[in-house]
Amino acid sequence: MNLSLIGFVMRRVRSNLRQLLWTHALTAGTTAMTLFVFGGFMLLETNLQHLLKGWGDQIQITAYLNNGLAPDEVQTLVKNVAAMAEVERVRHVSQEQAWRDFQAALGTQSGLLEGLPREVLPASLEISLKPAYRDGPLVENLAQRLKKTPQVASVEFPQEWVERLGLAVLAVEWIQWIFGGVLFLATFFIVGSTVKLAILARKDEVEIMQLVGASEDLIQAPFVIEGMIQGLTGGALSLAGLWGAYLLLRGEVPALGGFLAPLGELQFLDLNSIALLLVIGWFLGAVGSLISLRRFIRTWKASSAQS
Amino acid sequence: MIQFFHVSKTYPPNHRALSDITLEIATGEFVFIGGPSGAGKSTLLKLLFRDEEPSEGQILLDGKNITRLKSRGVAQLRRKLGLVFQEFKLLRNLTALENVALAAEVVGLSKRESRTRAYQVLRDVGLKERYDAKPLALSAGEQQRVAIARALINDPLLILADEPTGNLDAEVADGIMRLFIKMRDRGATIVVASHDLNMINRYGTRVLSLQRGALVDDLTRLPPEEQRA
Repeated sequence: MNLSLIGFVMRRVRSNLRQLLWTHALTAGTTAMTLFVFGGFMLLETNLQHLLKGWGDQIQITAYLNNGLAPDEVQTLVKNVAAMAEVERVRHVSQEQAWRDFQAALGTQSGLLEGLPREVLPASLEISLKPAYRDGPLVENLAQRLKKTPQVASVEFPQEWVERLGLAVLAVEWIQWIFGGVLFLATFFIVGSTVKLAILARKDEVEIMQLVGASEDLIQAPFVIEGMIQGLTGGALSLAGLWGAYLLLRGEVPALGGFLAPLGELQFLDLNSIALLLVIGWFLGAVGSLISLRRFIRTWKASSAQS
Repeated sequence: MIQFFHVSKTYPPNHRALSDITLEIATGEFVFIGGPSGAGKSTLLKLLFRDEEPSEGQILLDGKNITRLKSRGVAQLRRKLGLVFQEFKLLRNLTALENVALAAEVVGLSKRESRTRAYQVLRDVGLKERYDAKPLALSAGEQQRVAIARALINDPLLILADEPTGNLDAEVADGIMRLFIKMRDRGATIVVASHDLNMINRYGTRVLSLQRGALVDDLTRLPPEEQRA
């Protein structure tokens, strides 16, 4: 394509964007709405992952230590446990610390502890696990190994929570692929149909371009570029909508507390997801225009048949 | 210049629009294709600008077989033709000048050159004062003259017109026919499909008559000016 033709295509794009503003706005708006739903799902998925991470951070193995261990013996044990592949961090809770923690947990009722010897609570190791090792069988395996350590009296971990977490992670992964795939296809068809309607409204332009000898590439180029612009605009508008929804909900969700407490503040999409949403909009606009236009050109030739 | 060899066209499921047409049109001829509605006039033109492919036979244009062309070949063929239709086929959102220049821009001419040429051909068809008007602001005759200007901008050797005066009153139609004669005098070959017998009788030097898809008559007469003399 020579420079004159590139200039021609850009002039057509500029003129069409100006003169068919409402058609373009409608297509960009539809793209924005469908991408908003898709982006909303991405936002939900991001926060679910974050929530799962928060829940996972709360999963700890508590290894209660035998009484009377020497400080260097405890230090070696902490060092050995921290070196294990599954372990993210280890916190040694001395008998004294355990007493203070328990007192703090009782709050105003801490008077109940009066008269009890401080050695009644055992020292322990609170072991946090790396995200990849929070699966039920892996946690159990680590707990068994810790039990066999001579300095450890007993081991506890929230088995039920670990199992639930495992299920939740699995569910989110499946939802991500199935629901995300279905939504992507729905988005593709909705945007494709809208683009098709917009092209039908401009069938005269395609027909006249064909009649004056424009090549297929030259006919398609302005439509595809306009489709890209519509798609990108739709993507940007959907992001603006998602940001608005995020600002509205940001303070509301953590206030619900309960099982949502580990979520902390709601998360917005990361840069990769933002770029993905824009690229999907761009792709849908370009490919939707191209496919609809090609189909239309074939249909127009067939429909023009008469004696 | 134009040669049809046993050309037939059948539309699905079984409508035979043209049957075994063999004809030849020489360079510089002004030919009318006459016949009632449904005779196959438009189909014959569509085969020439390759909107349709023949079902049988071969069509040669300047010795080149245009029977089976891919989309790129069709686009290149149409750049050498000037096409005029009854319904004008102008873009409503473009001015007369822009509509005419469009045909030059798609072949790769710069914006400035396309517009300069468009202005010249609009002047040739008597519309230099109306170059900035959009089609809806023009009369039917003016719109057809814009369409003719668009057909002329790339200096085509062959002009195909399908019922070009169908939407025009007699006086305006005469003006359009005089434009075609002017183009013929400059060396272009003109093929006009029309069912208007008055028009054919007044301007036709060669008349190909179609009936139910068959070529039933090929009549050559003296040019109207010589007939009058």
